[in-house]
Amino acid sequence: MASNWKKGADWLGAITLALIIAGCGGGATPEPEPQPEPEPQVEPTRDDAAEREAEARRLREEEERRRREAERNRVLAILAERVHFDFDRSDIRPDAEEVLQRKVTVLREYPDVTLRVEGHCDERGSNEYNLALGQRRAEAVRRYLLSYGVEAGRFATISYGEERPLLDASNEEAWAQNRRAEFVVTDHGRLGAGD
Amino acid sequence: MNSVMVQANGKITVRRGRGLWIACLLSLALSSAAGAQEPQRDSIPTDVRVGILYQPAFRPGIVMPAIAASQELRELADSVRSIVLRDLDYSDRFEVMPVGEAVPTEGPVNYSLWDELGAVWLLLGAIEGSADGPVLRLTLHDVVFRLLQDVRAYQLPALGQTDFRLAVHGAADQVVEWATSSPGLAATRVAYVEKSPGGSEIYVVDSDGFAMRRVSRDSSIALSPAWSPKGDRLAYMSYQAGDPAIYESDLNPGISTLLVDLPGLDMTPDYSPDGTRLGFAGTIEGRTEVFIYNLERRCCAERATFARYSNSLSPSFSPDGTRIAFNSDRLGQLHIFVKEVDATSAELVTPYIYDGSVHNAGPDWSPLGDRIAFHGWVGGTPQIFTVAPDGRGLRQLTQQGRNEDPSWAPDGRHIVFASTRDGLNGLWVLDVVSGRIRRLVRGTAARLPAWSGRLDSPSVRQTEGVAGSNRNNP
Repeated sequence: MASNWKKGADWLGAITLALIIAGCGGGATPEPEPQPEPEPQVEPTRDDAAEREAEARRLREEEERRRREAERNRVLAILAERVHFDFDRSDIRPDAEEVLQRKVTVLREYPDVTLRVEGHCDERGSNEYNLALGQRRAEAVRRYLLSYGVEAGRFATISYGEERPLLDASNEEAWAQNRRAEFVVTDHGRLGAGD
Repeated sequence: MNSVMVQANGKITVRRGRGLWIACLLSLALSSAAGAQEPQRDSIPTDVRVGILYQPAFRPGIVMPAIAASQELRELADSVRSIVLRDLDYSDRFEVMPVGEAVPTEGPVNYSLWDELGAVWLLLGAIEGSADGPVLRLTLHDVVFRLLQDVRAYQLPALGQTDFRLAVHGAADQVVEWATSSPGLAATRVAYVEKSPGGSEIYVVDSDGFAMRRVSRDSSIALSPAWSPKGDRLAYMSYQAGDPAIYESDLNPGISTLLVDLPGLDMTPDYSPDGTRLGFAGTIEGRTEVFIYNLERRCCAERATFARYSNSLSPSFSPDGTRIAFNSDRLGQLHIFVKEVDATSAELVTPYIYDGSVHNAGPDWSPLGDRIAFHGWVGGTPQIFTVAPDGRGLRQLTQQGRNEDPSWAPDGRHIVFASTRDGLNGLWVLDVVSGRIRRLVRGTAARLPAWSGRLDSPSVRQTEGVAGSNRNNP
């Protein structure tokens, strides 16, 4: 009887492992494999079946949690993608359009998520003009998203001008990286705020 | 000949004669050193005068021997003298001449001695009273015409006290006014932006580069300081509450309060010269426009610019408060415009050039009203320019490195701006008249300077019973 129970426990352990692997495959952050509980070497009781069921439920919940986590990460990664601009321009470039289209899809899937769009500039223009330019960039992005039917109330805009460069250097590459809009999730809605 | 001129032509002519005379003396000194024959002093033809006189770069010599003081006030006297001498130098209106230790300070003024040195002005100082309540007496002598130009006593705070330096600066400004009829710029301050861990903060420094201190404590991004006309408050933009808004900081005791917060960006504040209104840029429909806020009623931000699909920002009031200069990209390039505050249309001030790299920004209207300073790109590098409000007389003032965000001193001839020079980054001061330049603040991150108006010096009192200007020396 005792050996039977042990076999059963082994089987459960294998499932757990498989589920963990499956969960990881979804792109979730890998977590250290939980150590198996020390097996109680006692006579099994009548609650045995109920316990197994509880364990299965726990595993199902675990799987669900990991699946949600993976989905959440996917969504957040899409929302966080930056878009870039040409020098002294605020129009949406074709490469930025692809990025924004992915955001549109996600924002439709998650209608309770809200965003703050941050406009940034390279260091070349006047400090003060760049604040205005950053605002215009954030606004251009907001309008683009609105034009695909995302509700206006879901966006706030802010400009940081050239005050928060991504790369602190004075060359074409740094300037190109710094001319950007960033996206900060202000309400995660049913995505959950995470840990 | 000089004394004859005094009687024949009156004061102004006398001064002109003197300026010429000194120029002559200087060149005389040079030519005699070269072994040339000394020209006759009286032989200079009259028609040359105006030419030499209006040489703006000519700086008459001024000499200031050690200040007379008792032993216990010696340290104070020496520090007063070094402040005054630096102020006179930074006024860019004098050649400050060195003076030996052995000069007599007692007895009647020996004009011949100073005359031989080539000085035009002799400034004598004395410190009286106690260390707690020192009184500075300054006497300016016109060496060339052997006159007592003016004398005045100043009640000073004790050495090391707040406003001690400011009081001495005020005295130095008075000396400049006695000699040139227009006051100096020593009793002023410059506010600017400096990098900080949280982004940037507002700092203030005296006009001579001393007494640097931080004003804002927002631990976020603070930008674009602007002085109230009296110099007791600073308006600036800050992200301290997340949403950028305009705050006003009382410099004494240093309390910062929210001034204007419309939805979106609020930035680039500028007080009207009478202090009743605040020009600033705010967001409307995603773009930036200039607004005028009523400071007396603490309300009612009214739009002052109207350009759809483009930005208008950085307003700067004309000295009479009826017009603003501002920055706008409404023509597809960034330019400086001027408009009546209440009008709808604006005039282009900077030249329109068919070139993609036009970028004119940061206008600042001179307190004298005749020029607007700004920075404009030359081959992609910003340089300081001035231009008349009607767009005439464009003049480039800098060549070296990046030069940005000019701000006028109240004398209308000095400009402070952020510059990289030859790697000597910081805030620099340029005398537009003489072209002299000096560094005010060191550091790569110092930017967006704003020059205050003249600050009231504490308790400047006129001595009783002592003369006004140009009284003969007894």
